[in-house]
Amino acid sequence: MSNTVTRIRLAVVAAAAGVLVLAGCSSSDSSGNSSAASCEPAKGKVTLQYWNTVPGMDDVVALWNKKNPDIQVETKNISNDQYGTLGNALKADKAPDLAQVGYDQLPNLRTQNAFVDASDCSAATKAKSAFVPWTWSQASFGDTGVFALPQDTGPMALYVRSDIFKKHDVAVPKTWDEYAVAAEKLHKADPDLDITFFDPNNAEWFNGLIWQNKAKMYGYSGDKWHVTVASDESKQVAEYWQKLIAGKLVRTDLANGSTQMYAAYQKDQIASYVGAAWGYSMFRDNLPKQAGKWSIVPMPTWGANGASGDWGGSTVAFMKGGKHLYESVKFNTWLNTDPEALALENKLGGLYPAANAGLQLPALSKGVPYYNNEKIFDVFADSSKDIDTSFTWGPTQKTVNLALQDAMAKAAGGDGTLTDALTAAQNAALKSMKDQAIPVTAGK
Amino acid sequence: MTDLATRASTRVVTSPGGRRRLNGGGPRAGTITAFLIPFFLPFVLFYLVPVGYALWQSFRAVHRTGGQYGTSYTSFGGFEQYQKVFENTEFWSSIGRIGLFGVVQVPVMLFVALIMALLLDTPLLKLKSVFRMTAFMPYAVPGVIAAIMWSYLYSPQLSPVVDLLNGIGLDPDFLGPGAVLWSAANISTWLWTGYNMLIMYSALQSIPQELYEAAKLDGASNWAIAWRVKVPIIAPSIVLTTVFSIIGTLQLYAEPAVLRQISSNISSTFTPNMLAYAVASGNNYQQAAAISVVIAVITFVLSFGFMRLTSKRAGL
Repeated sequence: MSNTVTRIRLAVVAAAAGVLVLAGCSSSDSSGNSSAASCEPAKGKVTLQYWNTVPGMDDVVALWNKKNPDIQVETKNISNDQYGTLGNALKADKAPDLAQVGYDQLPNLRTQNAFVDASDCSAATKAKSAFVPWTWSQASFGDTGVFALPQDTGPMALYVRSDIFKKHDVAVPKTWDEYAVAAEKLHKADPDLDITFFDPNNAEWFNGLIWQNKAKMYGYSGDKWHVTVASDESKQVAEYWQKLIAGKLVRTDLANGSTQMYAAYQKDQIASYVGAAWGYSMFRDNLPKQAGKWSIVPMPTWGANGASGDWGGSTVAFMKGGKHLYESVKFNTWLNTDPEALALENKLGGLYPAANAGLQLPALSKGVPYYNNEKIFDVFADSSKDIDTSFTWGPTQKTVNLALQDAMAKAAGGDGTLTDALTAAQNAALKSMKDQAIPVTAGK
Repeated sequence: MTDLATRASTRVVTSPGGRRRLNGGGPRAGTITAFLIPFFLPFVLFYLVPVGYALWQSFRAVHRTGGQYGTSYTSFGGFEQYQKVFENTEFWSSIGRIGLFGVVQVPVMLFVALIMALLLDTPLLKLKSVFRMTAFMPYAVPGVIAAIMWSYLYSPQLSPVVDLLNGIGLDPDFLGPGAVLWSAANISTWLWTGYNMLIMYSALQSIPQELYEAAKLDGASNWAIAWRVKVPIIAPSIVLTTVFSIIGTLQLYAEPAVLRQISSNISSTFTPNMLAYAVASGNNYQQAAAISVVIAVITFVLSFGFMRLTSKRAGL
């Protein structure tokens, strides 16, 4: 008898708890307006929350905290499942003041009402001139507000094992056509040698390649998004790599940054690497015995078109959870434009700065011992200038990238082609945007 | 939970001591509640509430105010999300894939576990505790760690096993399109065989020795005793391990997710759980919730269906 009563009582408690949780969620769902916040300095001491994924960022923040006793910053590393952590925090109304967000995920988070507009703070709008133009354009969504400040970029270049090219008497390629010819020559000279690898699980890398060819994945006009993931420019890139894969001139069994990849480079099985600026420390730290064998040269170009691509890079965004916009702007500006902060981030975290000032850092104008004392950052600086500024990411980029990867993997295994993969990604973009109630249409 | 509760209350009512205690009244009920809270509170918070939240989410749909990025809000969407699940070919091919996985892996694993349990139960085997420990050890390894370890053994660039096989003229591709599902199955089998063996072995231990003596007097060989006496008696625990394995198969995630990092033959939608995760990571929480609910229902139907199908024969 009392047993039953207890059970009923517990059931009531359970139901009440459930209702409370559900009620909490429904209210948070409807109050999702991301309006511009006012920019008033706080009275007294302020503590900011800043979530990031950069190694060594604790030391950079410690430097700030020492200099600014009234604006203290607390950091949290969210490298493990960065966007899952941010998405959950947003859903629970527990987002930090500032968080690291990759350029390609900015539109995605904006459609989730993740940011506050900092354009009421003059310090934020004035920061525009401090940054490489395309980075500012992406962080401000083409000047519709200031939602983030750019932090680092990944201008692309070609990493070359000069000794292998020399040994087989193959010239270092300047265009993609020359690259394909070199691929054939190297493979012919040594059947165990390939010019590079195509990582089918890396949509971000492939996106960098199509960005270089001036492909536009998305546009917006007439109250609609226009999806052009499978454009002629992207298809040209897809067909090019498809030919290399079909001819077995590039390996497809390696993932970027994996132990397997380093093992293949260690065994001199691969002669080059199409990479980004932040990759320079990867080879230096993982293949110390190959010091002096690597050079970094400009990325091969599409004919006379000298454009370059970008792979990766991040911003520090003003998140909805922030209550101290004035102080957040102050810290964010320092973090991403102050020479002392930038130098420390480059040294500890390997960041290649998005700020113009960063390009003149003493550390970035010196020769790098691992790369024959070559001034490799000059190559990246030139690459950075040649990146198409109007490239935009889609609001469901993560889903699109996954679809692209799944289909690229199939193509690498001989099931379909990379062009099919672009079509799959195009369809995934349309479907996922419809699922998010975003008005969308295919083509320009 | 209701099952346990019902059983517990029946026990109290039938035993005379229990009846007297219950008649004692209020303060005792308070004590019972106090003892139950440590179970029920987490149960409600971490089980009932998330399940309720997932159900609630699965009936929502996203809408958006105008503009390039707009502001999103959700409202009641009826069965829209479920309709999308049923129309999703990726979902059904992932179900088909783990169906194939389960149909092969579960019987193989349980058969090996049964043979090992029977071996442990014979007086013939020496060093029993060592054998038992060794067989059970993989279960102590977390699934993700096991998958990482095996991924090294499968990887052609790093694996000593592949090197060895290459040395004798074989060229295995553990991560190839046809093989990778079975490479994942192998990890699951390695992880769970010892655990299942232990459940069956404990059931064997509870069989009274007199039965064996009677069987021997009737002239039964060791083989006949194993097959005709032991196996039928422990049938309920075989059914139990099968149900656990069916549930485990439908929840398959860690092994393929880890192998995916080194094999391009595992897509982001390889298993239903991976699909749900991929959809959730694309911010489509409502769709992911509906997928999860459908997986739960399928798991429920399959495991209870199997129990009902076998309950009479297994004597449950």
